[in-house]
Amino acid sequence: MLFNIYVKELKDCFRDRRTLLLSVVLPIVLMTGFVFLFEQLGSHGKDEVYTVAVTQSFDEADRAIFANYKNLEFIEVNDPKSAVLDGLAIIGLEFSRSFKDVEKSNDAIKITIIGDALSQNSAIVMSNIENALSDYERTIISERLQQHKVDISTIEPFSIVYEETIDGDFSLAMLAYLIPLILAVSVGIGAGPAAADLFAGEKERKTMEALLMTPIKRSTLLLAKWLAVATIATLTGLVTLIVIVMEIFLFTTDLKAAISLGKEPYIVVVIAILVVIVYALVCASILMLTSILAKTIKEAQTYSAPILMLILVPAFYVMGLGVNELTFFDFVIPIVNLFAIFKELLLGITQYNHIAMTLISNLALTLIIFIICRILFMKDRWVMNS
Amino acid sequence: MKHVSFEVKQGEVLGLLGENGAGKTTLLRTIATLLEPTAGQVQVGGFNTVKESAEIQKKIGVLFGSETGLYDRFTARENLEYFAMLYGLGKHETKVRIDELSKMFGMRDYLSRKVGDFSKGMRQKVAIARTVIHNPQIIIFDEPTTGLDITSSNVFRQLIHQLKREGKTIIFSSHIVEEVSMLCDAVAMIHQGELVYHGTLEQLYEQEGSRDLNYIFMSKLVRGGDDYAV
Repeated sequence: MLFNIYVKELKDCFRDRRTLLLSVVLPIVLMTGFVFLFEQLGSHGKDEVYTVAVTQSFDEADRAIFANYKNLEFIEVNDPKSAVLDGLAIIGLEFSRSFKDVEKSNDAIKITIIGDALSQNSAIVMSNIENALSDYERTIISERLQQHKVDISTIEPFSIVYEETIDGDFSLAMLAYLIPLILAVSVGIGAGPAAADLFAGEKERKTMEALLMTPIKRSTLLLAKWLAVATIATLTGLVTLIVIVMEIFLFTTDLKAAISLGKEPYIVVVIAILVVIVYALVCASILMLTSILAKTIKEAQTYSAPILMLILVPAFYVMGLGVNELTFFDFVIPIVNLFAIFKELLLGITQYNHIAMTLISNLALTLIIFIICRILFMKDRWVMNS
Repeated sequence: MKHVSFEVKQGEVLGLLGENGAGKTTLLRTIATLLEPTAGQVQVGGFNTVKESAEIQKKIGVLFGSETGLYDRFTARENLEYFAMLYGLGKHETKVRIDELSKMFGMRDYLSRKVGDFSKGMRQKVAIARTVIHNPQIIIFDEPTTGLDITSSNVFRQLIHQLKREGKTIIFSSHIVEEVSMLCDAVAMIHQGELVYHGTLEQLYEQEGSRDLNYIFMSKLVRGGDDYAV
């Protein structure tokens, strides 16, 4: 009986075009868009040639400073700032005099870099120019010190070496952390219409009363409906996850390099699937609760939308932490731990005690919400509109 | 509701009359186990509606007015099959029953179409078929012909006659007095939540000295016994 009701509920949901659209089509479109956006952001500037506006006094000696930066193309204009404002160049560069006779004069050359710090392209070019000038500055200082028989190490008492605790490109890895966030939102959006329809919708259309007048136990009805919502939530999560994994590994280079799945990638994928299923169960329970509390589909959506938005809070909290900063509590608190565990998984870390804590705490939360739903569902007030 | 006490005999058709808001639907919902009485008790087929609701639910079929309780994205057949399954009917029994009912209501042409595309009359026919799919002994209809065209109303009346011949116990509320006088053996009149009359139609006619149920209804309920010129 439970299975038959479950199958009927699923059939009913999938005949609703909104469910199909939001649980299957939307994750595919959304994730495809994000994967290619991330890939483009990650590889940004690698093959791009940027135009730098310089004054007409910009000569070969000046140009030689940037010889190693093949992605910089210089155009000579009267007013570099106007050229930047008119969109002719990304950056404007002005020297108070040429570097041609820099060795002969100790007068400092004033360099003006004109750009828009809010533009990613502008920031990349500014960084390139600053690096080129720093290198050249160091060369000049070294030469001048040698003339005075002073070793460069005299003015450089130490050197700094940066060593990352994570493998790969850090900025790309940060982008990769957005994946669980999108996954979480997708699951909520995918299962939302089904949850609203199966409880609030049935109350609104009065089909719930017809069901309640049959000899079926309310708890059986509730379980079948929850299973249907959980199935759709899981399906959305898995479709999203599969789309992410396939597209990253088949169609991207930089993003693939940024995500380290460690030595046991298949185990990481299996754990990721488990985590997605558990999140889907939590999500299905929350959505079921909001739908039971509501009298209409619209009301259910009004309740569920801000709750699903709240999920962004733990996601951003975890995103701001390093993997070494995650504490015991981050793996105990439901939902927070889902993002924490994903952070570890994306770095190829599989801590089984963390995984167990995450799964158990979220399953416990699911059970608690389900019990609350059952208590409400047994009361006529919450199960019938009249 | 208060001071409501009456009995419906097996195989009897009882008409429930009352103005809008008199308490007819509340009474029917209580009998149908959807509402719990705050005081007193309701027994259906010897079972208590609160303590033994599951037993009652197996024996009754209920249809509340225009609330058809049908799934729009399902075909008429799928709706009937689903409710037959909920009532524990086997596959063969369900098929036979759907054939019988679709013949009775003239639904064969649209049995495989989705309910969402149906007219009000078509929906109501499927809803009535859904109500009796499990061949219940006791049937409750709350204003079942509201909004129906003449043909659909007549089909419903034929159904009541047939169910009556089959010995079913039927309680239905209606604001169409003629319908009640045509179909019912007994009548219960509700006014402001109180039962003001319960008995057979013949007893009522005799008591009121008129065979005009419309006149009796107006004098007893609407005008509280004031003079009423027909």
